[in-house]
Amino acid sequence: MSENVTRRSVLKNLAGIVGGILAMPAGRTCKAAVQNVFAIAPAPKGYDPNQHKWLMALDVDRCIGCGMCVEACKAENNVPQNNFRTWIERYVITRPKAGSGESRGETFVDSTNGGIGGFKPSLIPKEDILKSFFVPKMCNLCEHSPCTQVCPVGATFEAPDGAVLVDKNYCIGCGFCIQACPYGCRFFNPETHTADKCTLCYHRITRGLKPACVEICPSQARIFGDLKNPVPDDPLRRFMESNKVEELKKSLGTGPRVAYAGLDEEVR
Amino acid sequence: MPPPIIRLVLLTIGIVCVYFTARFFLVPPSFGQYGHYRGNALREIAAREPYWAGRKACDTCHGEIVKKLAAAEHQGLSCETCHGPSRAHVENPEVKLPKLSYSQCVRCHEASPSRPKWLHQITPDKHYTGQVCAECHVPHQPNEVP
Amino acid sequence: MDATILTNVVDALPQFDGYVYPNERTLHPLWSVLIVVYPYITGLVAGAFIMASLVRVFKVKALEPIYRLALLTALAFMLCATLPLLFHLGHPERCFEIMMTPHFSSPMAMFGFVYAWYLMAVLLLELWFDYRRDFVEWSRTETGLRGIIYRAFTLGVTDLSEPALRLDARMGRIISVVGIPSAFLLHGYVGFIFGSIKANPWWGNPLMPIIFIISAMVSGMALCVFAYMFLCWARRITADMRCLDLMISFLFYALVLDAAIEGLDWLHRLYSAEEGIDVLKSVAASKLFYTLLIGQACLGTLVPLLLLGSMQLIRRKITELNRRRVYFSSTVLILMGVLAMRWNVVIGGQLFSKSLRGFMSYKMEFAGHEGWWLSLLLLALPFIILTVFIKYFLDRDLPTIENVVPGAVRHPNSPEAQI
Repeated sequence: MSENVTRRSVLKNLAGIVGGILAMPAGRTCKAAVQNVFAIAPAPKGYDPNQHKWLMALDVDRCIGCGMCVEACKAENNVPQNNFRTWIERYVITRPKAGSGESRGETFVDSTNGGIGGFKPSLIPKEDILKSFFVPKMCNLCEHSPCTQVCPVGATFEAPDGAVLVDKNYCIGCGFCIQACPYGCRFFNPETHTADKCTLCYHRITRGLKPACVEICPSQARIFGDLKNPVPDDPLRRFMESNKVEELKKSLGTGPRVAYAGLDEEVR
Repeated sequence: MPPPIIRLVLLTIGIVCVYFTARFFLVPPSFGQYGHYRGNALREIAAREPYWAGRKACDTCHGEIVKKLAAAEHQGLSCETCHGPSRAHVENPEVKLPKLSYSQCVRCHEASPSRPKWLHQITPDKHYTGQVCAECHVPHQPNEVP
Repeated sequence: MDATILTNVVDALPQFDGYVYPNERTLHPLWSVLIVVYPYITGLVAGAFIMASLVRVFKVKALEPIYRLALLTALAFMLCATLPLLFHLGHPERCFEIMMTPHFSSPMAMFGFVYAWYLMAVLLLELWFDYRRDFVEWSRTETGLRGIIYRAFTLGVTDLSEPALRLDARMGRIISVVGIPSAFLLHGYVGFIFGSIKANPWWGNPLMPIIFIISAMVSGMALCVFAYMFLCWARRITADMRCLDLMISFLFYALVLDAAIEGLDWLHRLYSAEEGIDVLKSVAASKLFYTLLIGQACLGTLVPLLLLGSMQLIRRKITELNRRRVYFSSTVLILMGVLAMRWNVVIGGQLFSKSLRGFMSYKMEFAGHEGWWLSLLLLALPFIILTVFIKYFLDRDLPTIENVVPGAVRHPNSPEAQI
């Protein structure tokens, strides 16, 4: 082919370029139409996730094991019957056998139906109990969450304000995040066929309300606050000042942020 | 370049073009806004309607009760902890809340070796059986007698 | 909450003893038998390819007869590899997301690209360069559907000159060399998926990808031997004993390596006795007694090691027929053993709670998408596809260029050299 720069060829090329530019809006409308599948309802305006950093702390010495937080969460978030976004564990540590030289006996842990309806009396007789307590469990709001690290498509993520959320319109339901969470706080939702977990009641906290479990807890075992915008006499600050705190499974390097006060060595 | 290689290169370019065209249409609009996820997801998750009204909502109309509650032992309780979900009532005060049963009191106050010592606990079978809790205790100010 | 509802909920839940996190109380493990089948299939692909690359890259001439069979086996299994995953996903219709917005910190995100690369740039390309000459020849002589298929596969390139054939051979070698790390990546990333889960003490350890790769090689090689012997039996011809003996040698040494690494894994666990060791020992000894101790260790590893090892030593004293019997039964045992290994890793890892205080028991159903039936079907499908491939591409009755054009140059991979 000879290099023949004629008026005709130049005009043809220009027409092609102009046509391409004019086609772009059409292409974008097409794209928008196809992608409409993904775009759904808007939400509370005026909330900037970068301006907040939420944290929940748990005080084991104040938990009375009534299970109302678990019920409140179920009602608030339509959690399926056999799944739990939060739950209560009861630890019963028995006395060591006489002459055994042990500091404690066996540990029994139970969580019938996650603690919903409270706990029936333990089958272990009172005299045999060395100590017993309740531990609320939930998403540990990890700084380096292994669950978000392993999501293959970007359907679960750490929001800028500290909540770890699942995009149920994008999740493919592979279950990798559920396997990766060391705390057992994720589950496969049989209704949405996606992964599901505690959302820190994102729809409440973005409107200035407290998460349902914090709201309903009768004994201030759950302390919630915004680390970037502490209220006057912030309960979270008071909690951190007056308690020695611990996080669960810290050795795994997940950077769990949920601080527990009064945790026993037996709690995993 | 030998013909087989040309054919294969053309095929490869074709496949790559198909991939990028697919990406143009299939990657959701707000993806990557805050990170490797759909920015719209934050808005969708936050769009859910709250279920529990919250204690602050009761304060608007029942301020005196809330004030009395705040000065007594039950100050940490939310109204809905005992009275149940109240959003319907907040939106339309004509809607009445269900009457309370005293199993609510026992729910928290039943004695258990697992419960912390700061909580006042009773064994329902041994604590004034046959009587109703409210006969001796004012629920909002538990140390007072009615 | 109503007492009757509570009882019903508790009764409907699966069996568990000790303490198990509430979210772990599911009817089926989250990653069930379909996720056992998937690594098994990709492992067979990787292993069969390694067997084929022994011919091209390491120039083991004696294995020439199984070269094409190994590649076709790899392709047949590769085509079925995505099926268990698609059936397993909660939203299979969103599967394209893994290629559109892959999250690069996730090993699973690699799947789409590694699979596409391996299928197209390695397997199909190597097969094409190897078969190109035959496609051209066959398209000239065959009619009907077969003719159309062969013509399509020539991609319009009909040059059979000496330089073109040399190019084919050279490209085949290059692709084989590239294919070996690709095969390791294809199966290694699956091992890495398990190895990266630090939340699970059974899975999360650095040896996991290596164990997966090596057992994959073993299974793929065993599959090649099995397929070759089966095909010879079906066509009523005698297998090439030199080829068979050599394949079995390679298989034996791979099995030794596999046993060593898996043994090392267990030895290390038992020795360092970290936090979860009691739970793991309990799972291995009681819940996985049949699949791990009997199935994988004894029947799948120890017995084949003894059989094949003794063959290595006393080969000359055993008749060909008996050798073939030993080989066949060993490969069947190995194939079952590697499947058992996948089962033990995938299901075994989900039989104990992450609280390290309890165990779950699951019952496997026949029907349903986590049931026996679907998995057996998915394991049978590649064999059906392989049969079709053999019929179209490994049929010794097909005329060669020598019959059509006497005196033409003989291609080293012409069908006479095949089975």
